[in-house]
Amino acid sequence: MPLDTSAYSLALLRVDGRRWNELRRIHAQIRTQAAADGSSYLEIGHTKVMCVVTGPSEPGSRRGAIGSTGGGVGGGAVGGGAAQSKGAEVAVSIVIAGFSSVDRKRTARGDKRILELQSTISNALAASLHTHLFPHSAINISLHVLSQDGSLLAALINAATLACVDAGIPMTDYVAACTAGSTSTYAANDEAADPLLDLNHQEEQELPGLTVATLGGSDRVAVLVCESRVQVSRLEGMLAVGVDGCKQVREILDRVVREKGRRMVQEGTVEKGVGLNDMDVD
Amino acid sequence: MPREAEPSLNEKQFIVQALGEKLRLDGREFDQYRPLELTFGDQYGVANVTLGKTRVLAKVSAEVTVPYVDRPLDGVFTIATELGPMASPAFEVGRPTETEVLLARLLEKTVRRSGALDTESLCLVAGQKCWSVRVDVHVLAHDGNLIDASCFAVVAALRHFRKPDTSIASGQLTVYTPAEREPVPLSWLHSPFCVTWSFFGDDGETALLDATWAEEQVRVSSCTVSLNRHGEICQIAKLGGVPVEAVALLQCTAVALTKAKEFSTFLDGKLAEDAKRRNKGGFMAELSSENDR
Repeated sequence: MPLDTSAYSLALLRVDGRRWNELRRIHAQIRTQAAADGSSYLEIGHTKVMCVVTGPSEPGSRRGAIGSTGGGVGGGAVGGGAAQSKGAEVAVSIVIAGFSSVDRKRTARGDKRILELQSTISNALAASLHTHLFPHSAINISLHVLSQDGSLLAALINAATLACVDAGIPMTDYVAACTAGSTSTYAANDEAADPLLDLNHQEEQELPGLTVATLGGSDRVAVLVCESRVQVSRLEGMLAVGVDGCKQVREILDRVVREKGRRMVQEGTVEKGVGLNDMDVD
Repeated sequence: MPREAEPSLNEKQFIVQALGEKLRLDGREFDQYRPLELTFGDQYGVANVTLGKTRVLAKVSAEVTVPYVDRPLDGVFTIATELGPMASPAFEVGRPTETEVLLARLLEKTVRRSGALDTESLCLVAGQKCWSVRVDVHVLAHDGNLIDASCFAVVAALRHFRKPDTSIASGQLTVYTPAEREPVPLSWLHSPFCVTWSFFGDDGETALLDATWAEEQVRVSSCTVSLNRHGEICQIAKLGGVPVEAVALLQCTAVALTKAKEFSTFLDGKLAEDAKRRNKGGFMAELSSENDR
């Protein structure tokens, strides 16, 4: 048994020593790849992902990547290339490294799970990015998973958001994501179950959980994915904790971007803009 | 690749503005489904579901195969979806579109991963022989809300299906024909149903159930919730799109639960009706040599 739930109720500590409402350490960097338009590197605990954004640029041949058109055409549209759309197309491709998880396994190229992840990230970002400013163009987001330890979708969304910020693509707000779970398995119908924030791999295997992504500091949910059986009464608690976690994640992402900006001004890489007069450079 | 024509700007504005005035094109309430119909085929395990103009056929088949090496005690259970050019010119054979991939993934998560079918009961001889149950979903006509219709068809077909009876005597596996022994139903644990919400408006403030194809093309985001009648969520998928208030999503889930219960009662009724039709009045009636003539 990876996670002994009885131990949790005794000490209220999870397998990695966290309390129910604690995030794992989030470490993020932006502008990691000098040659790319935008890039980021993000760690949530032991989940490590890299993201590179190219564009907005002229759309090339779009094969292998799932794209969604911006400009308000959401989940319903079938395909819909950049030629027909009013907004830029957001194409996402995900590469999961063979060494990223404990047991090394090759992922098939047309893996439906990865296609679903790509489509989710693409649709989530397309709603936040101002794609209507770049008609007939493509924004290519390529994500690389270096290490997996739970909350993969959340890490991918956060990394993609940071890279889009770095690429300077106008967007409404950060799309910040995290996971939430619930103690005790789905079979037990006890009301005393605590919600948990930010599941790691062991907890993800054992407990019901969901991934939430919200737009900025609001309560508006862009992505909600739940893949396990859970009582409908537990959803409210899990969602509340998840949305709260997203707000914390947003603050962390915002700090990373501001810190990088401050350093770039200090180093003289960029001119201090007029809007940044109140920024504390020293 | 042929593409579905997008609705014109006028059409889009018309639909959205009408929804703002609490009106749908076909005059339904926002949380009302189109008339749902279910017919079973002559064979066991064929379900034909129509939801308005959307029509989905699910067929279940079973054969004896070798189980996977890493799961010697489990049977094989697959759901295959096929969106052919019959449903829409935008669908091609052999090249899955995004819609098809997401549909297949949703059905898999709803029915397979939630453990609706007890795959361990499909095992015949550990590590050597097991049943492979396969559901083929054919979309015959596409007028929106494929997900709910397909999920209902899959669950109905699986619950209707009977697999041949088997016995093992001294290591010898015998599969009986329907004439020798009555086929047996699958070991079914719970019936999950998908309920899809579509959101409209700049902030996704208008929520509709059972969107038609025209509405689906205009919607800004969607959320599919799968539930069974015991109030267990099997899966939630809001895969991007315009963000929606968390409280609104919770309300949607609550309404989805009542819809799932309605589906469940409807399916139970239809299955009982079909069982009555097939049962000619017991064993004595079958033995009787009298006929209608």
